[in-house]
Amino acid sequence: MKLAKFSAVGLAAALAASTALAGPDDNSLVVAWGSTGPIENVDNYFNTNRTGIWFSRMVWDQLIYRDPATFEMKPLLATSWEQTSPTTWRFQLREGVTFHNGEPFDADDVVFTLNWISDPDNGVKVQRNVNWIDRAEKIDQFTVDLHMKAPFPQAFEFLSGPLTIYPNEYYAEVGFEGMHENPVGTGPLMAESIKTAEEYVLVKNPNYTWGSPKGEAQVDKIIVREIADVQTQIAELLAGGIDITADITADHVDQIGGVPGFEALQAGTMRTGYIGFDAAGRGDFEPTTKLEVRQAMAHAINREALVANLIRGDARVIHTPCFPTQFGCDEDAAVKWDYDPEKAKALLAEAGYPDGFDIEFYTFRPADWAEAIMADLAQVGINATLTRMPYFALRDKQRNEGTTPIFLMDWGSYSMNDMSAITSHFFKKGPDDFALDDEVAAWLEEGDTAIEPEVREAAYAKAIEKITGELYWLPMFNHVRNYAMNAELNFIPYQDEIPRFWQYGWGDS
Amino acid sequence: MLAYALKRSFAAFLILIVVSALTFSLSHLSTDPALTIGGEQASEEDIEAIRKLYGFDRPVYEQYISWAARAMQGDFGTSYHYGQRVSVMIGERIGTTMALGVLAILFALIVSIPLGVLAAMKPNSIIDRIALFIAVLGQALPTFWFALMMMIVLGVWYRLLPISGNATWAHFVMPTIALGYYATPALMRLTRAGMIEVLGSDYIRTARAKGLSPTVVLFKHALRNAIIPVVALAAVWFGFMLGGSIVIETIFNLRGIGWLSYDALLRSDLPVVQAIVLIFASFYVILTLASDLLNAWLDPRISVR
Amino acid sequence: MTDAAQSPGAFAPNQSDSFAPDKRDAVAPEPTFGGRTQQEIVDEVLEPSPLSKLRKRIFKNHSFLIGAAIIILMLAIALLAPVLAPHDPLETNLANRLQNPFWHEAKTMAEHPLGTDKVGRDYLSRLIYGAQVSLLIGFSSMLISGFIGTSLGVAAGYFGGRVDMVVNFIINTRLAMPVFLVGMAAVVAFGASLQVVILVLGLFLWDRFAVVMRSITMQARDLDYVKAARAMGCSTPYIIVREIFPNVIGSLTVVATVEMANAILLEAALSFLGFGVQAPTPSWGLMLNEGREFMFFSPWLLALPGACLFLLVLAINLFGDGLRDVTLERER
Repeated sequence: MKLAKFSAVGLAAALAASTALAGPDDNSLVVAWGSTGPIENVDNYFNTNRTGIWFSRMVWDQLIYRDPATFEMKPLLATSWEQTSPTTWRFQLREGVTFHNGEPFDADDVVFTLNWISDPDNGVKVQRNVNWIDRAEKIDQFTVDLHMKAPFPQAFEFLSGPLTIYPNEYYAEVGFEGMHENPVGTGPLMAESIKTAEEYVLVKNPNYTWGSPKGEAQVDKIIVREIADVQTQIAELLAGGIDITADITADHVDQIGGVPGFEALQAGTMRTGYIGFDAAGRGDFEPTTKLEVRQAMAHAINREALVANLIRGDARVIHTPCFPTQFGCDEDAAVKWDYDPEKAKALLAEAGYPDGFDIEFYTFRPADWAEAIMADLAQVGINATLTRMPYFALRDKQRNEGTTPIFLMDWGSYSMNDMSAITSHFFKKGPDDFALDDEVAAWLEEGDTAIEPEVREAAYAKAIEKITGELYWLPMFNHVRNYAMNAELNFIPYQDEIPRFWQYGWGDS
Repeated sequence: MLAYALKRSFAAFLILIVVSALTFSLSHLSTDPALTIGGEQASEEDIEAIRKLYGFDRPVYEQYISWAARAMQGDFGTSYHYGQRVSVMIGERIGTTMALGVLAILFALIVSIPLGVLAAMKPNSIIDRIALFIAVLGQALPTFWFALMMMIVLGVWYRLLPISGNATWAHFVMPTIALGYYATPALMRLTRAGMIEVLGSDYIRTARAKGLSPTVVLFKHALRNAIIPVVALAAVWFGFMLGGSIVIETIFNLRGIGWLSYDALLRSDLPVVQAIVLIFASFYVILTLASDLLNAWLDPRISVR
Repeated sequence: MTDAAQSPGAFAPNQSDSFAPDKRDAVAPEPTFGGRTQQEIVDEVLEPSPLSKLRKRIFKNHSFLIGAAIIILMLAIALLAPVLAPHDPLETNLANRLQNPFWHEAKTMAEHPLGTDKVGRDYLSRLIYGAQVSLLIGFSSMLISGFIGTSLGVAAGYFGGRVDMVVNFIINTRLAMPVFLVGMAAVVAFGASLQVVILVLGLFLWDRFAVVMRSITMQARDLDYVKAARAMGCSTPYIIVREIFPNVIGSLTVVATVEMANAILLEAALSFLGFGVQAPTPSWGLMLNEGREFMFFSPWLLALPGACLFLLVLAINLFGDGLRDVTLERER
C-alpha cells in the first residue's frame, strides 16, 4: 500500500529530526495528559479526577509523606506526631515554610483546612476522604490536635494522600473557584496559569528548600497540556511538541522505544483489574447467579496469556480482590482459579448449561482485552457480546439499572495502600455491589473500623476468602502504566500511578 | 414580503423547538443525571436530594418546558461535570469553532472558485479533468482519514506544521484543510456550472462583441454573476461545518464546542450537549432563513402576495 | 466529520432554474429545504451534469460499469466470505498477534497474507467479512431511510396541501439537526450495536429521498394515466403503488446509492470515535478505529480498511452517477 511505503520514509524522517527538541534547552518540561479527561477544578477537594491527584502533589503538601517506594510514613509539613487518645493525633508542624503567596505556614492553616473540609456543608466532593474527621484544634502556633469521630486506622493513608493543606487567609477569601483560577500551596511548583481543559503552566517554587522528602523541582517550568487523543499525543511527542506522555498502550512502548531519541517503558501500578459477576441477580440474569457458572468462567479465562501478551510489563495475574501490597490484602487467603477449559465445560454442564449460553459483556477499557476474554469464553460455549461504553455511562448503567451480568473493570484505590480503598468500596452493599453478601459486608466493616492491625487483617482475610471462593469477582491483573518520553529525560516511575513531574529533570543532573 | 418573512421565521422557531425537544427527551430518557452529578461517593439519599433539587423527579415534558424557558433567555444551566455555567463554557470555546468554520469555508472557496473558473474556461482541458478527479475522489475519502494522513506527513515526518492546540494561526492550517476540503467538490462544481452558463449567455457575448478585454469580461461580468449562488451555498455549508467540527477538533485537539460536545457526551453532561445541539441547529436555521429571505427579496415574483 | 449526509454533492448545472417560477404556475413561494429549493436538490441528485459526462470520458465512458463491477465484486466477496476467508474473523490467538503482512515478512504469506491484528485475528479474513458488515449497514439503513423518505415524499407530493406542509416541516426539522452529534447521543442512549447504528443512520438519512420523491410524485400525479386511474375510482394506495411507483423507481435507485454511500461513511466516522458498532464485529469503520493505534508504526492496519471503505464508496458513487445518466435517458 501507499501508506506502508510512506511509513518507512516517515520513520527515517522522524529519526533524522528527533534531535531538535525544545525541552532540554530552556529547562522546561511539556507533559501531555488527557486519557482521564479534563479536570473540572484543580482545587484538590473539588474534583474526582486522577489528574487532580498528581496535580495536588505538585502544588500542595500534606502533613505526612508516604515514601512511594517503601510505603514508609515520613515528615512533610508535620515534623512528628503522636497518638494522645484512640481518637486523637497530635502533630508538631514544620517552621519556616511559606505558601506561594508569601503567607507563612502555621497551625492556623492546618486547623482551618481540616475543619473546613470536614464540614459537610462545604461540599467537598469526595466525602469519604474527610468524613472521619471530627475537628482540628490549635494547641500552639506549631502544634495541632486532630480529633477523629471514631478510631480510624486508615487515617494516615488520607493524611499522606488526598488531604493537602491550604493557606487559611487566602482560601477563606477566594474559595474553591479562586483556588481553581490561581492555586496557592506550599508545594515544589507554583501555578502560573490555569486554562481549564487546555493547559496548566507551573514554575519552580524557589523557596522549596526546607528539605522536603519530595525534593525540589528539577526543571524551571512544567507545562501540562490536555490532549485527549492518544495518537495526537504520540504525534506531538515524535514531532517534539511534548516531552512525555503516560497514556499510550503496551504496543506503543515497543514501537516508540525503537525510535532513536525516545524512550518508552512500562511501570506496574496498583490499579487492579477484575471481572465482576452479577452474582446477586440485580439484572435478573440467571446464569451468573449460579456458582458453578462463575467457576466455569473463572476456569475458562486464560489470565496468564492475557497478561503476557496484552498487558505485559511487570503486570501479573492477581488472585485477590485488592492489590497485594495494600494493608490486609493477604494473597494466601484467596481462593485461586487456574485455567482449565475442560473443567469449565464440565461445570457448565453441571450447572445445566451443557451448550453454554449467551451473555452481555461490559467494559470501558480497550476492546482487545475484552475480546481476548470473550474468545476464551467462546471456547467453552459461552457466547458473549461486547458492549463497550464510556466510563461514566457504564457506571451509571451499573448503579442505576444493574443490568451488567459480567463486566471487566478496574479500580485505582485512589492510590491508597489500604484494602479498604477498594474491597470495602465494592462489597459493602453500596450501589457498586453485585454480590450483596451480608457476611462479607460485615467482615469488611470490622476490618475498616477495628484498631488492632491483627483484628483488621483477620476480618479482611475472611472477606477475601469468601469473595474469591464465591467468585463475586474474578481478580484479573494489575494494570501497567505505559510511558514514552524524550530519551534525555530522567524519569522515575511509581507504582501508585502518581507521576511526580517535578522530579524529572534533563540530562545528567 | 413581511408576511412571508414572519411566516418563515415562525417556522424556523418551531423547528428549533422540535429539535431541542427531541434531543432533550432522547438524553433524559436514557441516563440518570442525578448519578452523574452525585459522583462516585454519593449515597442513595444524596441522589434523591439531587433529584429533587434539580427537578429530575418531574415528568420530562415539564423539565423540558422549564429548560426551554430559561434557554430562551440564554441560560443553559450548569454543567454537571465542571459545575460552570454552560453559557460561559460555550462562550469561551465558540470562538475557536467559529474561527475554524470560517477559515474552512474560506479555504473551500479559495480553492474551489479558481478551480471552477479555470475548468469552466476550458471545459475538458487537463485542468478541468484534474479538478473533476479531485472532486470524485474527495467525496469518497473519509474526513478523519485525510486528517490523520496530514498529521503524519506534515506534522510528524516533515514537522512543517504544529499538530495540536490553537495557540497560533499555524495551528489552524491542518484542521482548516481537513474540514474545508470536503466542501470543495460541491462549490467547485457549482462555480464551474455557473460560469459555463454565464459565459454562454447573450449578455457576455454582447460584452465581448463590444471589445471589452477578456479579463474584464471574465472577472467583472461573468464571475460576479456566477459567484452569487456559490456564496449562498457556502453559507449553508458553514452551518454543516460547525456540526462537522467534532471529529476535526478531537483529532487536532482544538478546544472548541465540537470537542466540548464530544467530551460532554462521554461523561453524560447533558446540559452541555443540549445547548450545543441547539446552537448548531440555530446556526443552520438562521443561515437558511437568511438565504430564503434573500432569495425572496431578490425574486420579485414572490413578493406579489 | 463533515456531515456526509448533507453534502450537496453534484450541483445543478443550470442555476437559473432554482429561481424560476414553479411550472405549475404557483404564485406562493416554493418551500425550501435547508435553504435550497426542491428543484435544486432534485437537480443535484438527478440531472446529468456536464461533469458526469466528463467523468464518463475520464473513465472511458464506463463509470457505471466500473462502479457496478466493484460493487458486484464486493457483493461476491461478502456473500462468499465463508469460502474465501482463510480464517474465522473472530478467532483470536494472543501468541500470534500483530504479525506483519507479506510485503514485510514473506513467511506470513501462507498463513496470514495480510498479517494479524491486536488479538491475533487474521486481517485478510476480517477485511473480507468487513465487506458484509459495510454492505449490510449501507443497505439496511438505506432501506429504512428509503421507506421513511419515500413515504413522506410521496404523501406530500400526492396529497399536497396540509400534508405537504407538515412533511416540509418535518424535512426541515431533520435538516436542522446536527446529524453527527445527535447520532452519537442516540448511540449513547440506546447502546452501541450494529442494530442501533443501522437504525440511527436509517432514521437520519431520509431527507433527500423525501425531497426527490415529493417532486417526482407531483409530476406523476398530473400524468394522464394516473388521472385516468383516479377517475376510474381506484383507491389512493393502489394508484400510488401501481401507477406512481413504477415511474419513480429509477430515480429512487439513484437517491438510494447516494444515501448508501453516506450511511457507510457516517458509520465509519461514528465507529472511529467509538460510537459505532461493537467489537469484535469486523466493520471497516471499527477496524479503522482499532488500527489507528498503530498508524505511526504499522500503518497498513489503518490503510487497508481505509482503502476498502474508499473503494466501496467510490464504486457506489460511480454506479449512482452512471445510473443517473442511464435512467434519465430512458425516462425522457
